[in-house]
Amino acid sequence: MGNNRPTILVCDDSLLVRKKMKDCLSELGDFNIVEAANGQSSVELFKQNDPDLVFLDIVMPDKNGIEALQEMMEVKKDVKVIMLSSSGTKTHLKAAMEAGASDFIQKPWEKSQIEHIVKNIF
Amino acid sequence: MFSQYFGHYLLNKGLVTPEQLTDALEYQRSMHLKLGVIAINAGYMTPAQVEQIHNMQKRVDKRFGELAIEHGYITEGMLNDMLTTQKQGHLMLGQALIDRNYFTMEQLQSALDDYKRENGISKRQFNVVRKDDAKEIEQIFQSYGETLLAATYSDYVTLLIKNIIRFVDDNPTVEINQLKTDITAEWYACQEIQGKISMHTGIASDTRQFVILAAKFAQEEITEPDELAQASVGEFLNLHNGIFLVNMSNNGVELEMQPQMVSGNYTFSNPGKAYVVSCHMTWGKFDIILA
Repeated sequence: MGNNRPTILVCDDSLLVRKKMKDCLSELGDFNIVEAANGQSSVELFKQNDPDLVFLDIVMPDKNGIEALQEMMEVKKDVKVIMLSSSGTKTHLKAAMEAGASDFIQKPWEKSQIEHIVKNIF
Repeated sequence: MFSQYFGHYLLNKGLVTPEQLTDALEYQRSMHLKLGVIAINAGYMTPAQVEQIHNMQKRVDKRFGELAIEHGYITEGMLNDMLTTQKQGHLMLGQALIDRNYFTMEQLQSALDDYKRENGISKRQFNVVRKDDAKEIEQIFQSYGETLLAATYSDYVTLLIKNIIRFVDDNPTVEINQLKTDITAEWYACQEIQGKISMHTGIASDTRQFVILAAKFAQEEITEPDELAQASVGEFLNLHNGIFLVNMSNNGVELEMQPQMVSGNYTFSNPGKAYVVSCHMTWGKFDIILA
């Protein structure tokens, strides 16, 4: 594991979404990609890996993305967390922004959206 | 939508080849439905009478309806019904098959009669809907006695058809029935929607269709119902439901959804008021369960 590589935490309960995101990020750069399949492990892997960027789904088992985001923010307030959800309702948008999310992308995402975010951060 | 369902029927019966069906479907996009086909379908005229009027039109500069009324085959009222049908665009495929010389008038009548009889087309449960007709879908749910959620279910199904076209890259024909019994499926993906409105949503399918749906949505090579296939079908349902929630949110109704789940050999216990939305694709069928 190269210590200089930025770490990106991808949190989504769908294996397909994680695979697509990994494929996309691998094309965009050399990243250390960590995957979490539920809200609880998202928080645990966040604490263990100190990621530079987080892609976080909202509707997940064991803890939803908003709750996970709140716990991540308690650990590291300036972390960049991008909410990535099919459910961009007004309630979710408001909750995500209030909890400190940097951005909100409505699924299905386009590669250009991820590229824009990655280029802005790294 | 009707034409596609009828097309699948003709294909399954071996009455047309895939090439002929494709050609006829392509051709029908650029044509208008002729009144003779409508008259036969409605039972107002026989194929021979229609041919007779068509032959007369070669000699006399009069419209089909005008001549048919003059000869006492139809009334003004029947003509008005036929003109309404013409605007609805039904039977376009039959017209195309005749124009392209794949069917004669007699063959079309025979195929239509068989099709209607086999599918009970006059019965309420045969409700094939156009993809853009939310009102028609709402009426179908109302016809089953659904009062509270007919409009919501209609919005859901209308969006579903759009999302199948958008994400699965196929043009579905949708059939809506009330679920009378429990349903057992080789694969079942489901997700609960909660809030002011509570809905159970599910995708039921056999293994073959499950794998095809998974592969098409994921745009990955998926050949068996493995973890990736399950994730794909589950995510399709999740994506559709998420977009549905956003639409509802934009209309002032905030809903939440639970994580999706996918199970093999699953039996959905009918709570008493449930619907099955059968999505007929070019490669098979899967069912959406709404309860």
